[in-house]
Amino acid sequence: MATNCEIEPGAAVESALVTTDSYENFQQMSSSLEEIKNSNYAAATPEEFLDNCNNLDNDIHLTCSPVTSSSSRDEDYLQDEEWLSKSKHVFVLSSAGKPIYSRYGNEDRFASYFGIMQALVSFVQADDDSIRSIHAGDRKFVFLFKEPLILVAVSKTEECTIQLTAQLNYVFNQIASTLTLSRLVKIYEQRRNYDLRRLLTGVDRFIDHLLDFSENEPAFTLGAVQCLPLAASVRDSISTAIVQSCSKIKNVVFGILLAKSQLITLVRMKKYYIHPHDLHLIFNLVQASESFKTIESCWAPLCLPRFDSSGFLYGHVSYLAEDCQACLLLLTVEGDAFHSLSEAKQRIVERLRRGNCLEAINASLTTREETCMEMGFPELRHYLYKCKSTAQFYQPTKGAPYSINCKRLLNLYKQAHYKLHCPTRPLKLLFERNGNDALLAWDTPGFELYAVLEPLTETSSAITTVGRLLSWIKKREDKLFQLNAPTF
Amino acid sequence: MTTDDSMDDDVFESSEDTIAQAKLHITQNAHKTVPSPTGYRDYKPPAEILKLCETDVIEDTNQRLHKTILLGDSGVGKTSLLVKFDTGKFQPGNFSATVGIGFTNKVVAVDNSRVKLQIWDTAGQERFRSVTHAYYRDAHALLLLYDVTNKTSFDNIRAWLGEIREYAQDDVVIMLIGNKCDCGGDRLVRREDGERLAKEYNVAFMETSAKNGINVDLAFMAIARELKLRQSGNKDSNKFSVQDYVREETEKSSCPPCYTT
Repeated sequence: MATNCEIEPGAAVESALVTTDSYENFQQMSSSLEEIKNSNYAAATPEEFLDNCNNLDNDIHLTCSPVTSSSSRDEDYLQDEEWLSKSKHVFVLSSAGKPIYSRYGNEDRFASYFGIMQALVSFVQADDDSIRSIHAGDRKFVFLFKEPLILVAVSKTEECTIQLTAQLNYVFNQIASTLTLSRLVKIYEQRRNYDLRRLLTGVDRFIDHLLDFSENEPAFTLGAVQCLPLAASVRDSISTAIVQSCSKIKNVVFGILLAKSQLITLVRMKKYYIHPHDLHLIFNLVQASESFKTIESCWAPLCLPRFDSSGFLYGHVSYLAEDCQACLLLLTVEGDAFHSLSEAKQRIVERLRRGNCLEAINASLTTREETCMEMGFPELRHYLYKCKSTAQFYQPTKGAPYSINCKRLLNLYKQAHYKLHCPTRPLKLLFERNGNDALLAWDTPGFELYAVLEPLTETSSAITTVGRLLSWIKKREDKLFQLNAPTF
Repeated sequence: MTTDDSMDDDVFESSEDTIAQAKLHITQNAHKTVPSPTGYRDYKPPAEILKLCETDVIEDTNQRLHKTILLGDSGVGKTSLLVKFDTGKFQPGNFSATVGIGFTNKVVAVDNSRVKLQIWDTAGQERFRSVTHAYYRDAHALLLLYDVTNKTSFDNIRAWLGEIREYAQDDVVIMLIGNKCDCGGDRLVRREDGERLAKEYNVAFMETSAKNGINVDLAFMAIARELKLRQSGNKDSNKFSVQDYVREETEKSSCPPCYTT
């Protein structure tokens, strides 16, 4: 299949985001903090992200029905219809089997189940192997053992094991983001029996939100972020305002402006990139925190596990103004820069106000994006377009029939994404039709496209539509994507 | 004329700083006499610019920022207390732990003059202590909260006072607050216990409810009043004035009695 475009839409020479495959392993983490603290100018070794994914098949398939006999006293949850009806449970426990988190219900009441999970993990581990998943009926039990924590998902959703593991990885990173991985490891080295909940008060809310967020946002499946549509000139002047206002302040690593779950601009320190997964944690932090909304400006330590899992960055977090609900984060390695960053924030707001950027942001926030129908693609229902080189994606507003039932649409995307990224037999191009919809998924070196079409669409017309769509996106790329990567 | 509007009386009454007064007179005279200080005959800077200059003068002299920090265990209601005071609103059943530390500026009127409070809200969790400790040092006042329905939060008050002694200035104004006093039967800490502890450490005490608004304004106003007195160099005022003030005001006000069980 040939494209009409020379270069894929949304591609840029530079990207502020680390570009990734979304299923890559989370284990490798860079240590950028020391580097920045020690020297701003020393040449840095390029961060190499090794793909440690080994495709050994450790999945255990059970044909029997789930075993429900348990001799414990905490059987009440197994009698609880509401608890049982949840489509996905997530549990976190220490490698010693101590409860840390349960998505539904009080984790203290699962003590015996946590014991079983711990036993399963350590039993397989005794053979120098690791348990990945157990399949029983329509349920999947997915395990992720990352020293010193064990994470387990019990799911009856249609998500595949890899996608569930990716969600568990996000949960692990959320915990690492609050404590740093180094501290987490050290705590358990000192006391294997430590009750981590003591240090994680309030974090359960962030994990709850993260799980809902990762189930409902295609950004997580794609490993990309969506930008708020803005004229390129406006986006540039916003970036310039941030760069100029912070120019005299040492060691500001990232300046991030976001609204809703969309990125407005991202300014970075030279040589440093932010990983989309870290950016998702930041979006989650901002959305799940009420306190940022009530306080003029906030100062919080924050570990970005993919950036550096061993230490904290400090974040100055504030909403721009009463009349503009975009949230600005200035991340630095200096723990005492709060006041200078507060002043910088004032300067940024003044510049943006003078440049009429606040109005432009508000206008874009209140304008609904076009649906495919309004764009002039009647046979197209919805699509996701991800530009790989910048790790950004775009989606139109959901029109009928997905405006109400968007869960089904997300499931279609998740399944198609899996087929394109399946470790054993990845597909390049996929066209599927059933009674409800037709789906075309296309993976090229430059982009990924997932288009959902009317069920009666012929292959040839689907391909024409997609070609037209690509040139439509190309024409609007400077509005839909951040095409440059400004630096401090 | 806009410039005259901002010359309200309390500026002169409460101003101890004669230089400021002199400056104000100059500004006032400047645009009454001709030629103007700019050298151009009859030129008057735009009214809003003049006003800006003057507010600056006033703020520099009288509007010192008084830093007040809210402290206490996670979940005792620090953010709720601040939001109630700042906006008058209370969001029931929506607990969201504060991340890090942050501030809100609030100007309150004390005896016809304005006191600018910079109120810092802090995260109660242990993991944020290293961040928040750094801000104790410049605090003028500390509101130390516990939850009357949570015995542990009350038991931890001694540890909090220990930290305050270690990190804050010696002359910092401290007020102990038992929050959630609207709880009725769920109460686990008696009012007398709070009073006794406050007396032991020689700090002011009151019970508040961010939900019903009981004593919320009073707590912040008492702090503002004390800070203003201290700033004006009133050496007679000492820690007890807050306590006396609180006692008087609580007796005066018709707030419903807090039930003790």
